[in-house]
Amino acid sequence: MAQCAQSVQEFIQDSFVPMVAVLSSQEAETLSRKNNLNFAELLRPFCRLTSEGHVRDPNNQLQMVKNLRICVNNLVSSPIPSSCSLSPSQYRLLGEVVLSSQPSEGAQATVVKTGDYSLNLSGTTPWFEAYRDNFLQLMPALDHEFLNHYLACLLVVSSTETVPLEQFLKLSQEQHRIQHSGEYTHPKWFIPNTLKYYILLHDMSEGDEQRAETVYEDMKQRYGPHGCYLLKINSRTISAEQDEQIPDPWSQYLLRSNQRNQEVLDLAPAANTAFVENSVCKTKVDLTEKDGPGESSSVETHPLQLDTDTSSASLQILSIINTELKKGLRDTDTLTPGNYGACLTLNDHDHIRQFVQEFTFRGLLPHIEKNIRQLNDQLISRKGLSRSLFTATKKWFGGGKVPEKSSSEPKSTYGLLYPPEAPELQIRKMADLCFLVQHYELAYSCYHTAKKDFLSDQAMLYAAGALEMAAVSAFLQGGGPRPYPAHYMDTAIQTYRDVCRNMVLAERCALLSAEILKSQAKYSEAASLLIKMTSEDSDLRSALLLEQAAHCFINMRNPMVRKFAFHMILAGHRFSKAGQRRHALRCYCQAMQVYKERGWSLAEDHINFTIGRHSFTLGQPENAVMAFRQILVNDSRQSATQQAAFLREFLYVYKSVTGENEGQLPELPLPYIDDSATRVFFGHERCLAEGEKQAATHVSLDQEYDQSSSAMWCILEEQVVSSANHGIVPGNFQPSQSCLNSQTDNLHHPLAVVEEPIIVELTFRNPLKVSLTLSNLSLLWKFAVDEAVLTDTTSEQMTGETISNEKASALQKDDFVTTEIIKEFHIGSEETKMARLRLLPHRMGQLNIVGVVYDLTSPFIGDTTSNTEGQQTPNLMMVRGRQDLKIQGPRLNLTKEDKMQIRHNVDRRLDPIITPPMPLMEVFFLQFPTALLCGEIRKAYVEFCNVSAVPLCGLRVVSTHPDFFTFGSQASTPPTHLTPVSTENCSAYKTFATSLQLGSEASEILILAEEFRQPSGVIKIPVTGDMLQPGESIQLPLWLRGPDQEGVHEINFLFYYESSEKQLKISHRVLRHTVFICASRSLSIQASACRSTAPPLHCVDDKGSRGTLVFIDVENVNTSESGIHEFHIIQVSSGSQHWRLHKYINPSKDNDCKLSSRERAKLCFRATRCEPHQGNLDNIEKYTFADLNLGTERIISSYTPCGDFFFRCCYTSAFEPVDLTSRTPNNSKSQNSGPTEYAAGSDVTRIAKTCNELDLNIIVIWKAYMIEDNRQLILEGQLHVGLQTFGKETSSLVPKEEAQEMVLLKFKSEIPPSVILPFPELSQLIKTNLHYPETFTHHFVQDSLCLVPVTLTLSNCSLALIDVIIDLRHKSTSLESLEVHSSFAWVGQSQYKLQLSQQEVVSLTLKACFFRAGVYNLNTPRVFAKPADQSSMCETSQQTASPALIIIN
Amino acid sequence: MSGSFYFVMVGHHDNPVFEMEFLPAGKPESKDDHRHLNQFIAHAALDLVDENMWLSNSMYLKTVDKFNEWFVSAFVTAGHILFITQLPYGIKNFFNDVYDLYIKFAMNPFYEVNSPIRSTAFERKVQFLGKKHLLS
Repeated sequence: MAQCAQSVQEFIQDSFVPMVAVLSSQEAETLSRKNNLNFAELLRPFCRLTSEGHVRDPNNQLQMVKNLRICVNNLVSSPIPSSCSLSPSQYRLLGEVVLSSQPSEGAQATVVKTGDYSLNLSGTTPWFEAYRDNFLQLMPALDHEFLNHYLACLLVVSSTETVPLEQFLKLSQEQHRIQHSGEYTHPKWFIPNTLKYYILLHDMSEGDEQRAETVYEDMKQRYGPHGCYLLKINSRTISAEQDEQIPDPWSQYLLRSNQRNQEVLDLAPAANTAFVENSVCKTKVDLTEKDGPGESSSVETHPLQLDTDTSSASLQILSIINTELKKGLRDTDTLTPGNYGACLTLNDHDHIRQFVQEFTFRGLLPHIEKNIRQLNDQLISRKGLSRSLFTATKKWFGGGKVPEKSSSEPKSTYGLLYPPEAPELQIRKMADLCFLVQHYELAYSCYHTAKKDFLSDQAMLYAAGALEMAAVSAFLQGGGPRPYPAHYMDTAIQTYRDVCRNMVLAERCALLSAEILKSQAKYSEAASLLIKMTSEDSDLRSALLLEQAAHCFINMRNPMVRKFAFHMILAGHRFSKAGQRRHALRCYCQAMQVYKERGWSLAEDHINFTIGRHSFTLGQPENAVMAFRQILVNDSRQSATQQAAFLREFLYVYKSVTGENEGQLPELPLPYIDDSATRVFFGHERCLAEGEKQAATHVSLDQEYDQSSSAMWCILEEQVVSSANHGIVPGNFQPSQSCLNSQTDNLHHPLAVVEEPIIVELTFRNPLKVSLTLSNLSLLWKFAVDEAVLTDTTSEQMTGETISNEKASALQKDDFVTTEIIKEFHIGSEETKMARLRLLPHRMGQLNIVGVVYDLTSPFIGDTTSNTEGQQTPNLMMVRGRQDLKIQGPRLNLTKEDKMQIRHNVDRRLDPIITPPMPLMEVFFLQFPTALLCGEIRKAYVEFCNVSAVPLCGLRVVSTHPDFFTFGSQASTPPTHLTPVSTENCSAYKTFATSLQLGSEASEILILAEEFRQPSGVIKIPVTGDMLQPGESIQLPLWLRGPDQEGVHEINFLFYYESSEKQLKISHRVLRHTVFICASRSLSIQASACRSTAPPLHCVDDKGSRGTLVFIDVENVNTSESGIHEFHIIQVSSGSQHWRLHKYINPSKDNDCKLSSRERAKLCFRATRCEPHQGNLDNIEKYTFADLNLGTERIISSYTPCGDFFFRCCYTSAFEPVDLTSRTPNNSKSQNSGPTEYAAGSDVTRIAKTCNELDLNIIVIWKAYMIEDNRQLILEGQLHVGLQTFGKETSSLVPKEEAQEMVLLKFKSEIPPSVILPFPELSQLIKTNLHYPETFTHHFVQDSLCLVPVTLTLSNCSLALIDVIIDLRHKSTSLESLEVHSSFAWVGQSQYKLQLSQQEVVSLTLKACFFRAGVYNLNTPRVFAKPADQSSMCETSQQTASPALIIIN
Repeated sequence: MSGSFYFVMVGHHDNPVFEMEFLPAGKPESKDDHRHLNQFIAHAALDLVDENMWLSNSMYLKTVDKFNEWFVSAFVTAGHILFITQLPYGIKNFFNDVYDLYIKFAMNPFYEVNSPIRSTAFERKVQFLGKKHLLS
């Protein structure tokens, strides 16, 4: 139970007070009427006595009467017997009292915390107290108890009366008649001889005071000094202007009088709502009358009955209410505020107070005292015999009835009734009197006795009354000897309710009992008592009691929050049934705190729905919107129809809200917008490719964002920008992002170009099971015109102003930004759908996209309700609203503060800056293949098109696969002496007819490498004039070469271009293109080089240079079934700075090299070192290209497609680190080593390495014949193999490198035995060669010594001057050489010292001496070599362990 | 209301973890206006379950609350509360079986305690148990 203003004692005392009737003459009535009050009302504020009175009890002991209140009422007589329940009008009165008592605005709420819950409640319930007080006052006077029977009667006569005493007599007779004639049952009188008190009312302002005094003297004579009073009032007249502000004590007592409007006006926070409420009440009645049998017509039926499933009907009601609401606002009738006691001064107030005191102490209390004594005497005198007499009679007659009254009295259903003057009632009467004068001890004993008597008589009603009062007086004794008999109360309530069927009495008893229990902190008992009292007959009572029960639950030691909430809901339900909407709303709101956000979705929805409806009818549409929004926003478990109903209701309410305040559109909750999923695309509409043209892929909203690919694009862009800016990346470089999403870097304002569209993709999600339709969907934006750009006078007034399309009324917004409107956008149930909205800016400035605006429509689904409604509602059910887009950046997590708090970065993706026009380029590709063989060369065309109005320049392209394509080199013009063969087969190569030469020698061309080289993979696109004018387009050939690795390759191109105008915000623009190329295997090429072991004598033709042999294994590894017949190797070329292919060694003399599937061929070439060129000294890279054509056509390998790709391949691309290892020869190294060797010359290992290096790159050009669609196609291609070191085999197929190497090693060891010559020393500086006869026949019989001449050839491989020492004396210490017959000796000079200049070859003739036949290893000479300028310390052994065997027979 | 009843499992924060309405075979659908009432009653009974669970040693708490004709009985697991409105016979067995089921479900490492159970398998099994113990 909630806290009350009064204490329990006060409350109970005030519940039972002495009743005093007032009977006034006509004139006296008019006198008091001057104050707008009748006499009883006049006295009412002064009825509480401030001083103490005294009463003597029958034992002559003084009993104090404290804080006594008397109740003064006008005597209203009626012949109708008072019923035991309240009349409907009284119920209505109670309802109004409760209605008018609302929680005050400033009522402080207490916070109750238990467990998880923290509730905000107000502890007091003044409406309940008001109800209770009024209810107790409205208690009908009943026969079985006397507490509210009149004890006294005030007879009031005005002094203006001609003969006042006569009037007194008349009134006295009147009173007597009312009491004793038996005509009237209603005013009940306590005792037969009621105290009459005579009052002469004198009006100071008009009457003759002297006369009044004399009349009063007469009265005193007649009625005794304590039986009459002269009351002087109305000391002043009502003047128009009241200068003196007299406190008005009446208004608070008269609230319950029927001037409802006025009280509502006083109490309701705003006048408007008060009227609304009134009119709503009216509507309620109207509705119930109008609707007739269709709607339930009982008064209890509320229009907002909580049948949530009715949707359309209730909606109709809502709309009616709404119109009524507006009507109510209009007819505001003027009301005069209460103006009580206008003629009374403060002195008059004192007079009245004095009078009441005088009357109570001198008249009433002595009267009561006298009566108590009388009754006591009666009882004592009767006690002795009556008890025995009663029992005797009972014995005689049997049964529980007393004979003298059993015959005459009607037997009621709940026990018998006593006649008013029955002796059994006398004791009750005395008890009541004692109770009224606060003599609770005596009262208790009397009640107790009476109770016993009544019970023995089976007079249940009487007994219950006595029990109730006995319990109350026992409680009020306070600290008395006996504990409070709670069971008395329970019995009383039960008896009242169940036996007597008197709910009013039961309710009174329950109220008292609950209050007492509350004071004893027995909340649980109080709650169950209150809950038991709820019943169907009175919703208001049930509501109030349930609410109190809820308060009991929350006030328990362990607060029962959930019980509280449940009972609040029940109370709210009852309140709404009782028409107390405001209270119902309050209850639901309080309960909501418990259910909120805990997953009880059905309950939550129900509460929200109720709150919404009540809020709406109470004129709080904002709250209603909030509540309905909750239903829609929460995860709903409602059925689709239910959701549709909720939605429609929401839209209706929403519409009425928006109808009121125009201007700013309100926010709509549906559908959800996933803010962070918003994507913004800055781009133009792409020109569609026509015919065989293929447009660049660009960026589009359809592409998924991929972190790694975007990083890749960023790197590409950085490369191209740095190359455009002479190798420096500008400090303010920002990769251009044309599609922004949650993962991109959105810290900066994106830049958009004027007249280019901005597309915003929003992700809508519909949480409902009902589909939604958004129509007229468009973006909302704000636009600030860039002042610097504003020069024209027409728009000067706009300067600095922010233009927005948020307001409906505006200037021609399309001047600034064109907003595209999506006419209709459908979202199915529980669907997530994207919408793309477009803006087209026309001015430069700062654009902010703030939100979206749309009409939300709820479609009708499965609603089979009447069509008449269906026709109306569609136009009702469309509301216009907006949703703001607030994108939060990613959460910061760098500093400590960031980690401690939740901070988000800014996200500017919706705030683009509109910049001046920029060029815009489209790229198209023609004849672009999708599949290629590895190494295949194809020619395609690319078209660049400037589609903007601004010239563009600085066209560049960068790719992830720079070796994939080339635009050709313009520097290489074909030599004039060769005529190109007609290219009828559309060959990508330029071919020239040559005479077929057997064993042909290579034709050579020297090329400057720079002509082909593009720094860092960025390729400048050769556009004539380096500029594309607006609308201009240019077509360029493009050669493509299939990637070396098979598989699908993603190849990304980034085209870069700039505006010809500099100093723009956007420095450049880029265009992306991605192609997928499927590469299939063609040929596998393995190449190795070895030094020719042939002694220089044998290769006469090649004077001085020791030949290097190059072996090329070509295998057809093509596995595709695409009908490739065979591969022809048509040409082998070399490209190197220092080496060249010299000759084709063809043992079969068959030039044509055909390879069908899985066939393998081996080609052998001789390579020679080029003569040192001028260029090498100039430190300019020059490459020698040597072509060896195997067919009839010669392809000049240094020309465009071939040479370009050759250089491309040589370059290491940053994106293919795999390729670094084997395929591409380390050009930079070889290029450095040559020139620097002389200068540095210090590092031995370096020298050693250098001499072993071979930077020969082989180009194998092939043709493949393929049959497709009965047509022969010729595919061409080239493969590259780079040879770096002698002896090491390299392959064009990269991934198999490892495995091949293993095989090769084995292979290598197998080859040498075929040649018995000592294996050439590969590794070191000096190549040694022993020349001797393999078999030497000697007759040891003839000559015991055999001398064999052996020639040792030393050749210097390096470019340095080498000192060589040959030591023959040295015996091999290795085991291996010991095993073999070492019993031979070198004869002659045993040590040589030589100096070998660069690449010098020296032959020494040695002599070996053998003693007998056998197999000898001649390889015992030790050769030491060192560069000439090195100190002798670092001599290096040049000997290898490989044996050189000689057989001596 | 005869024959149909409501079962709910409630988590630590008074949040429903699993809800199910059992309907007798004849009735195809429950009336919508009573669905929230079930929740209200079950929720309100939590106070009494909190009170009673410390007074008893057994997990099964019998009837803890009643509202009009609905009897609420409860079963407290080692930290979870299961509920049922409408109390026919065999309710204890039903609770025990569901408890078994729940333990198995909660052992799933991907299930977070207190979060709503969204498993059709679990639903189906509870439905079966309900039919077996309560509706038969």
